[in-house]
Amino acid sequence: MSYLEIKNLEISFPTPKGKYIAVKNINLSIKKGEIISIIGHSGCGKSTIMNAVAGMLSPTSGTVQLDGKTIKGPGPDRGIVFQNYSLLPWLSVHENIFQAVDSVMNCSTKEKHEIVDYNLEMVNLLSHRDKLPGQLSGGMKQRVAIARAFAINPGVLLLDEPFGALDAFTKSSMQLEVLKLWNLNNRDKTIIMITHDIEEALFLSDRIVVLNDGPASTIREIVEVHLARPRNKIEFVKTPEYIELRDKLLHLLTEEFSIEDLGVVYKS
Amino acid sequence: MSDKNTLTIDAIELEINVTTAIKKSFLEENIKLKLAINTLIIKSKSLLLAGIGLFLFGGFWSLLSIYTDDALPGPVATLTVLKEMLSDPFYDYGPNDKGIGLQLFNSIKTVLLGFLLGSLIAIPIGILMGASTICKQIFYPIVQLLKPVSPLAWFPIGLVVFKDTGMATIFIVFITSLWSTLINTSFGVASIPDDHKNVAKAFKFSKWRYLTKILIPYSLPHIITGLRLSISVAWLVIVAGEMLSGGAGIGFFVWDSWNALSLEKVISAILIIGIVGLLFDRIFTFIENKVAY
Repeated sequence: MSYLEIKNLEISFPTPKGKYIAVKNINLSIKKGEIISIIGHSGCGKSTIMNAVAGMLSPTSGTVQLDGKTIKGPGPDRGIVFQNYSLLPWLSVHENIFQAVDSVMNCSTKEKHEIVDYNLEMVNLLSHRDKLPGQLSGGMKQRVAIARAFAINPGVLLLDEPFGALDAFTKSSMQLEVLKLWNLNNRDKTIIMITHDIEEALFLSDRIVVLNDGPASTIREIVEVHLARPRNKIEFVKTPEYIELRDKLLHLLTEEFSIEDLGVVYKS
Repeated sequence: MSDKNTLTIDAIELEINVTTAIKKSFLEENIKLKLAINTLIIKSKSLLLAGIGLFLFGGFWSLLSIYTDDALPGPVATLTVLKEMLSDPFYDYGPNDKGIGLQLFNSIKTVLLGFLLGSLIAIPIGILMGASTICKQIFYPIVQLLKPVSPLAWFPIGLVVFKDTGMATIFIVFITSLWSTLINTSFGVASIPDDHKNVAKAFKFSKWRYLTKILIPYSLPHIITGLRLSISVAWLVIVAGEMLSGGAGIGFFVWDSWNALSLEKVISAILIIGIVGLLFDRIFTFIENKVAY
């Protein structure tokens, strides 16, 4: 029983030179509580698929169905974490999340404030609730954005290259942060994440969708990740399954692995 | 003996502690003092340079005055008259003889009223123009057509419509105040980044929430810049407007003084007009800095 169903999705944009097809023939069924990564080169239409699920773009043909209903626009059943955080710089951390909660949830104002503070507590930012985004580091801003997406209690979380702008250490702790929240929510939140990072995709996902290069990109392969959870950052990279999957993904995404592949003769 | 020894050691330690504490506080004082002196030097430097500028200006003015055989009054003569004017600024000897303070007050009142009315129209229309392409296509040609027209050309129209010179003066200030605010507001609204709009879309913001939490906070610095430019031009225009309308205001005062051949008064009024214009600009710059995020 699939929860999110993408059927024959095609998205194209009109340009002066004619129709530009971004993605086509995209078919994907996602179960409730699954974590899916979409990986591919820049400009291969990863964000286009994500935006179609978010409802920001409407399909040229095909459908995206969530829980049996066709997606027609953005909605509170999907929480989005944008690549560049997209916090409103004139609102405090608390207020940034509160505006989202206040906009989509039906409960008393007091309860809404409590929801905001609970979610800030979850990402360890409660003590920074009254700061402006400009006073926070990149990692902290992204935690606010994740707290905001979780706060509206959506069934699906869409993460668009969420850790792309973070340094390696912050990135690693943020991945754990996401898994922690997923776990706290009984692992029934479906997460779709765009990434460039093979290790990140393997650490987080149940399945990895590899896209062909654009334009008119299609799904190249869907790689199943049968690594036991909870995964340990240090241990899981040593397992043969990890090494096998990483090699497979590397082969799917690149062709050159050494300077010798570039035609260089290495003189020792 | 030993008691005495420890006592001395204690005393010495105490002394050392006290001296280090004094030294430390002295050092801190020293740093503070240095900072204070530094800012003082920077400030006095800029004051000195401004003084040099004023001195050069005064010198040039004096030369011009000598060259015209005192037909143009020099700085000393003017400042004497200015002092006299400022000693009793609020006298009122009938409609054509009022103190400079009353005239100034009248002009400021007219400018603020016209500016306020203009802004009340310009800001909403600017928001509409920035937010909707259709509105922009409707209003922009009108703005382009009317913006280059000298505000004084509107004076006869004001007279015909309102049949009152005071109202006509407010009307030209109103027209003047529209353009910069309109254009800056629409520019600010049109340049709201997609990131912010996506937040509104993703979290289903209502129109009202979008207006109050995204559109206005984002474009406020642009709007204030527009208002600052508008009030500067309005203050430019009021002098000319009051020369036309007569009866009251600093512009009328300039024209009246010219007719009475008191160039000292004319120049004094020019100085006062400059200072008030500077103040308007400073106030809006202050607000601009306040609303920047």
